[in-house]
Amino acid sequence: MRQSKLNQILLTVGMLAALAGVFAVNAGAMHIAEGYLPVNWCLLWGAVCIPFVVAGFFSIKKRIDQAPRAKILLAMCGAFAFVLSALKIPSFSGSCSHPTGVGLGAILFGPLTMTVLGLIVLLFQALLLAHGGITTLGANTFSMAVAGPILSWAIYKLLRKVNAPASVAVFAAAALGDLFTYVVTSLQLGIVNGGTVKFLTIFAVTQVPLAIAEGLLTVVIFNVLEKYSRAQLQELRVL
Amino acid sequence: MGTDRYAYQSRLRRVSPLPKLALAAVALVVCLCCDSVWVGLVTVLMMGVLITALGGLPVTVYLHFLKVPLAFLVIGGITILIHSYPAGTAVVAALPVGERLWGFTAHDLYQAARLFCKALGAVGCMYFLSLNTPITDLTMALEKLHVPRLLVELMELIYRFIFVLAETAANIRLAQESRLGYQGFRRSVNSLGTLSSMVFLRAWRKGQSIYTALESRGYTGSLTTLAGDYTPGLWLLPLTAGVAGGQMLVFCLERMAVG
Repeated sequence: MRQSKLNQILLTVGMLAALAGVFAVNAGAMHIAEGYLPVNWCLLWGAVCIPFVVAGFFSIKKRIDQAPRAKILLAMCGAFAFVLSALKIPSFSGSCSHPTGVGLGAILFGPLTMTVLGLIVLLFQALLLAHGGITTLGANTFSMAVAGPILSWAIYKLLRKVNAPASVAVFAAAALGDLFTYVVTSLQLGIVNGGTVKFLTIFAVTQVPLAIAEGLLTVVIFNVLEKYSRAQLQELRVL
Repeated sequence: MGTDRYAYQSRLRRVSPLPKLALAAVALVVCLCCDSVWVGLVTVLMMGVLITALGGLPVTVYLHFLKVPLAFLVIGGITILIHSYPAGTAVVAALPVGERLWGFTAHDLYQAARLFCKALGAVGCMYFLSLNTPITDLTMALEKLHVPRLLVELMELIYRFIFVLAETAANIRLAQESRLGYQGFRRSVNSLGTLSSMVFLRAWRKGQSIYTALESRGYTGSLTTLAGDYTPGLWLLPLTAGVAGGQMLVFCLERMAVG
């Protein structure tokens, strides 16, 4: 009896320590690091992304052909996504992480545009900041520039269609898009190395508060944008 | 920002980006395919030697950069390391939880070490590219490799705008912090929200004025620049073969030692 009690205490302490460790180093844990996936999975995820990127490429091309100004503005949007993801986001646990910008990007620019911009931003993050990698670019693009944005965008459009308030729609889209990105990342890691459930638990514990923080942040951003830049939002066909 | 600063200072800066790209890519693929502890370690070591000896980067800076992806590697490694086993399994270290043991066996430890070292080697290869090649050179190389013109142009523009916007964001952040804008969770979210939306607004306005400025100077839809003066850097090709050969040799030696 004494023995099992001691074990329980040990286990609790161990888990708390592990949790603290996870919180402390969460910052770069979003992107799958270089070399973490075997060659065949790198190629597979890359191939899965190609149709989305090609579709996005042609949608951007169409927009630019209609209005050449769009090229400069889209590039600004891409740079904005990069800068946003480099900002530190406050979290309940006191530690800091980075917003993914998945939800905001998808709502503002649409999922198709987001695939191409996301791909470029992820490449720059890999090269400039060593977040993610070149071989894992396909996997990261799929989770952060394809799956997450599509879900966010779908949720936003759906909630707006049923006349939910804008802030609710934005919050749900950003928070769920962020969470979904993590679920996909966990699956990608789990398929290869086993232990999807373990990855999901770790990410769920660390990500739920961050997803809520990102959701709140996105609502604040959106409110300010709605107040001061209706014209731009209308130009992007958000409102 | 990050590796960029060092890439401009590198002694390999004037070497054509294509052979550098080839060296990094070949070493990366071999490192991934071999999937072994020693090949990973040798790769990260060789890349370190190449970056410091050829590129002239201080060793401490290279070590600092290697620490960047460490957080992910450690968390991922631990996740893969820990398994649940029925009581009585031969484990190296474990905590009993109810009927089962949570811990790792020697085999798990080897698996995790292999993944960790492989990833470290791959990161080294990526650093050889990014610490010796500025992004502007890389986009030029991509254009030579027939990546669509529009994509390359977007990359060049985004790269330039990143620095413009990062400066804006840093200034706003400093102003907010000096007014205690990040005290407490509520205020932090508010401040960060204002910051992000203001950066977006300024980005949009700046984009408009850049377009106007370009158009008044005869912009017709694409920005063309001349490629820089590169040395061909063909001597990097035998070096690439040497690196790959070294990796293979280590792989064979390890196989022989195990088998």
